[in-house]
Amino acid sequence: MNALAETTLKGIRVNAEPGTSPVRIDGQETIPALLRARCRENGDATAHREKDLGIWQAYSWTDYLNHVRLIGMGLRALGLGRGDVISILSEDNREWMYCDMAAQCMGAISSGVYTTDSASQLAYLVNDSQTKFLFLENEEQLDKFLEVEDQMPSLVKVIIFDPEGLHDFDNDKCIFLSDLYELGRQNDDEALFNAEIDAVTKDSIAVLIYTSGTTGNPKGVMLTQENIVAGMETSLYGLPFEKRAEQLCFLPLCHILERIVSLYTPLIVSSTVNFAESPETVFDNLREVSPHGFVAVPRVWEKIYSRVLVMAQESTLLGRWAFAQAIKAGEARAKYTMENEPVPSGVEMRYKIWDFLVLANLRRLLGMDRIQRGLTGAAPISPELLKWYHAIGVPLFEGWGMSETAGVGTINLPEANKTGTIGQPVPGTQLRIAPDGEIQVRGLNVFKGYLNKPEKTAEAFTEDGWMRTGDVGRVDNQGYVTITGRMKDIIITAGGKNITPAEIESRLKFSHYISDAVVIGDRRKYLSCLVMIDQENVEKFAQDHKVPFGDFRSLCRAREVLDLIQKEVDAVNKEFAQVEQIKKFRLIDVLLTAEDEELTATMKLKRSTVEKRHKALIDDMY
Amino acid sequence: MSTLLEVRNLETFYGPIMAIRGVSLKVEKGQVVTVLGANGAGKTTLLKTISGIMDPEKGQVIFEGEEIQGFEPHQVVRRGIVQVPEGREVFPLLTVEENLALGAYTRKDRAQIARDRDMVFSYFPILAERRAQEAGTLSGGQQQMLAIGRGLMASPKIMLLDEPSLGLSPLLTQEIFDILRRLNKDEGVTMMLVEQNAAVALDLADWGYVMELGRIVMADTAERLSASEDIQSFYLGHANEGSRGERRWKKRKTWR
Repeated sequence: MNALAETTLKGIRVNAEPGTSPVRIDGQETIPALLRARCRENGDATAHREKDLGIWQAYSWTDYLNHVRLIGMGLRALGLGRGDVISILSEDNREWMYCDMAAQCMGAISSGVYTTDSASQLAYLVNDSQTKFLFLENEEQLDKFLEVEDQMPSLVKVIIFDPEGLHDFDNDKCIFLSDLYELGRQNDDEALFNAEIDAVTKDSIAVLIYTSGTTGNPKGVMLTQENIVAGMETSLYGLPFEKRAEQLCFLPLCHILERIVSLYTPLIVSSTVNFAESPETVFDNLREVSPHGFVAVPRVWEKIYSRVLVMAQESTLLGRWAFAQAIKAGEARAKYTMENEPVPSGVEMRYKIWDFLVLANLRRLLGMDRIQRGLTGAAPISPELLKWYHAIGVPLFEGWGMSETAGVGTINLPEANKTGTIGQPVPGTQLRIAPDGEIQVRGLNVFKGYLNKPEKTAEAFTEDGWMRTGDVGRVDNQGYVTITGRMKDIIITAGGKNITPAEIESRLKFSHYISDAVVIGDRRKYLSCLVMIDQENVEKFAQDHKVPFGDFRSLCRAREVLDLIQKEVDAVNKEFAQVEQIKKFRLIDVLLTAEDEELTATMKLKRSTVEKRHKALIDDMY
Repeated sequence: MSTLLEVRNLETFYGPIMAIRGVSLKVEKGQVVTVLGANGAGKTTLLKTISGIMDPEKGQVIFEGEEIQGFEPHQVVRRGIVQVPEGREVFPLLTVEENLALGAYTRKDRAQIARDRDMVFSYFPILAERRAQEAGTLSGGQQQMLAIGRGLMASPKIMLLDEPSLGLSPLLTQEIFDILRRLNKDEGVTMMLVEQNAAVALDLADWGYVMELGRIVMADTAERLSASEDIQSFYLGHANEGSRGERRWKKRKTWR
């Protein structure tokens, strides 16, 4: 092993030069090895918490490794070999994490399935990955499996986490997690387990991340141990976590963002992960945990913002006045802090007073009183929203990354922040703009290829080995990157003009009333768009403006609501050239959920599906 | 058809708790409109706000073109809105006839009142049989009939019925709903019907609303509501047993 120069960052030993191989974190090159080292080192300290019957229960690092070992040895006894794939279909919980780690410890590959996926999608993922062992959260997910049981020949065993309601259930292929633990206990052999961990190399495939695939079938992104460890190394520079920090895990673990943040980052910094009870209780759990860092998608930040506004509006006259004053004071200060400029003492003083009177309480109420830094990614966020969070004393920064880059690719930092950009490339990642405007990256965190799709893999890389991100953008002279669109989504109007719809769409999405939009216009005379309204905010608007409505459909038909969206569209139109004007729009009058095919698991509209399913609405505009 | 009753953006509170969070709906003349919803959805609060027992924080109740929100209950009754309360609230120590007479206390025309009482007796012959009996000694179904009969005695333009099927046997429920149907068809009584028993309510109604947590989540003709998948699995108890035949979990509601 060549001896690379090392440095210590936040108390952790890493290569002095980020992005050089082999990447090592405190001397460990793989996740299993790092997990073992951390569990031994932290012993009885709390590794994670999960609610049981409404009470937070703590699990130590020792418990963590024990559970992982038992599952690993159990799977081995059932025939799991190196390079085999396991799939996990569950909401976030500690079992999810144990299984992911156990598979990696045994040299196998772990893949996540969204709980919102249908039975046929499950079958596709299992078959594409040739999954041998499938983990299911509960009865509900089990029924998905049973529906397509005969279509998945690769499966050896199915393991169910929660036996609730399944006491009479009998299927040769299915066992419960407790059975697997028991099997692990019977075959427990620490030396063997350690040998398995030691056999994992930096080039072993660690995980498969299926990209949500806005077009076609999902593609399995293969990430090696080194990809992820390199991603973790950059996290160390970019993510707001430190030793013993509290985190909240609530976004789907199948998604690279939460996977890196909640499963792998804690292995670097020994932070404590708290699993949210369910997607519905996130805001309560946030208040209970009060994390030190919070990473979320724009939708979540937007929801919290809307809640605060509603609370403020429903408070007393004095309360409303004080809130407005506090936000003003906060925004005055944010102007300086967001640019990393010194804050004039008068502005700082005024902020301190309002912080003491209002903002500190607000943060406590939200569960954000300990947050040192918030991070948003996976979709564009409105600059006004970023500013608002800075104003209330929650410094929120935007980053960018994709499954193919094992998480973070570029990031804004407190000391290097430019609002409206996705920040500078993280240490260890190189980024360039191709002549056609495409953003291309290179680094140890860049993936090895798509599973079973050599032609897609070939398409993803340039001849000189850079990865095509598919995003179009620019870099300014200080190195800040701005994304303007997607390569594939370029619209060519009947007039022959090239238009990148993503830029217009993200401007539309910045409106509080618009949750997502799809701009249409390929081979058409002019641009139009389909809008998915933000139910809560538009309902609030209707209620405040005495617009009668019944269900969602009638809300979407209300004249005043259409006028409201028209106003938002007009405002966006002003920022774009003549050919990029949106001439007409229609609202999607069905309240879409993550189970609907039109939405990705992160609640983004899928262009191709939307165009197909709502063809009538589109044709109506031309 | 013309709109008899319209509710717009109604918000009603119990102390700090917002029980109705912006409800808008319409009842056309001669129609039966049903409001479905689970416990705590805000159905009864909605009726109470319409009939003046509770005051809304925001929004309007428009009856025959006049805004009546915040009116006292007796003023609302005089305009022709009568609520038949939940749980058969009859006066137990008064006789059937006295109960019926109380229903007509806003009216002066004795001959018309007598005619209406005969009409009530023709629809509910059992009440005629027991006209001198104390209401408290009637059976549950008979008390419900009496409560409806008492409501009819006000010669209402619209009846607000709060769970007429509550605590009644299926047979009695059917009987009462048959009578409600005849009252609607023959006498042209407009009704707004709050029910948990979605099957009978949708069978009777022309139009339905589904309330959840103080909001309307679905509005459609009763026929289309009955055909909706969510209504079938959450209100009509059509279970999809799944491949194991003992499915416990419910899919998420989408209200389409």
